[in-house]
Amino acid sequence: MRVLAVIPAYNEEACLEGTLAMLTATCPDIDYLVVNDGSHDETGAIVSSLGTSGINLAVNTGLASAFRTGMKYAWRHDYDAVVQFDADGQHLPEYIPPMARALREERASIVIASRYLDGSRQPEGLRGVGSRIISWLIRITTGTKITDPTSGMRMYDRDMIGWFAKNFDIAPEPDTVALVLRKGGKVVEIPARMEDRQGGESYFNLASIITYMSRTCLSILLFQWFR
Amino acid sequence: MPVQQRVLLLLGALFALLMVVNKIKREKILMSDAIFWVVFSVIMTLVAVIPELAFLSSRVLGFQSPSNFVFLCVVALLFAKVFGDSTSISLLKNRVDELTQELALRDDTGSHKGSCESDMPQGH
Repeated sequence: MRVLAVIPAYNEEACLEGTLAMLTATCPDIDYLVVNDGSHDETGAIVSSLGTSGINLAVNTGLASAFRTGMKYAWRHDYDAVVQFDADGQHLPEYIPPMARALREERASIVIASRYLDGSRQPEGLRGVGSRIISWLIRITTGTKITDPTSGMRMYDRDMIGWFAKNFDIAPEPDTVALVLRKGGKVVEIPARMEDRQGGESYFNLASIITYMSRTCLSILLFQWFR
Repeated sequence: MPVQQRVLLLLGALFALLMVVNKIKREKILMSDAIFWVVFSVIMTLVAVIPELAFLSSRVLGFQSPSNFVFLCVVALLFAKVFGDSTSISLLKNRVDELTQELALRDDTGSHKGSCESDMPQGH
């Protein structure tokens, strides 16, 4: 089973090399592709030095587009699975092999590395509230309980790679998880732990959180029935 | 606010919603761009169903009639939308220029560079 880790990177000079070192040390057999999403810092130079494992986008296009670049690459190079992996060091590569196992054994379309499957409480504050709302929306619209819909560490099977590579307005976000469930796909969660971001800063601010939440909620509640 | 006007508002809201859903279905609008129209439609529905919202606001802000207030709100909202679209189009234009430039420079493997330099008149 050929797995590609797609690592979108926007202004991640502080942590990208550490993340790659950790990934290659833990999972030497897994290929990776870093997609630099038009960063303004030294991320581009780091990515250029990676040879075929790095792609520089000419302008900043957003996370979904950067990720879909990786999906197109995976589709054209016949990968069996893609894992969405953060450049900031939050995701631990040791969970990639169990995710691949779950994908194969359970014939799942998506495997999510869940921080809350072991019964851990979701964080308080805005982030936790958002995550709970999305979880609840997915449950009432698809009947499936997803404990960690906003986990950014997800693995997709070959059909999903094709979907991302060819279709319109597909983002590596919770609304796609809901859409896949509604279309009869299987989504599996495995318990996982995540680190705090290892450097740099998250580009989430209040405006982007409102946009994110309204897009995700409307997509799950309304738009998915027409897609 | 007359009943006819409330019905018109409701029909308008329904029409906006149907248009958006249709475009989503035909993959002609991004969901992030559709949010505005859904919110717009919800606001129109709210005003049609609970006209007291418009009564209260128009009284507080000194409008002659609630309909005037509703019209002004719709116009203001559309102005904001058009302005937002203008900035988006500007960014898109700039992005197309930038992409065209990047693409052209990426094709440049350096082969013309040498010949160009040798064609330059040699200074003494």
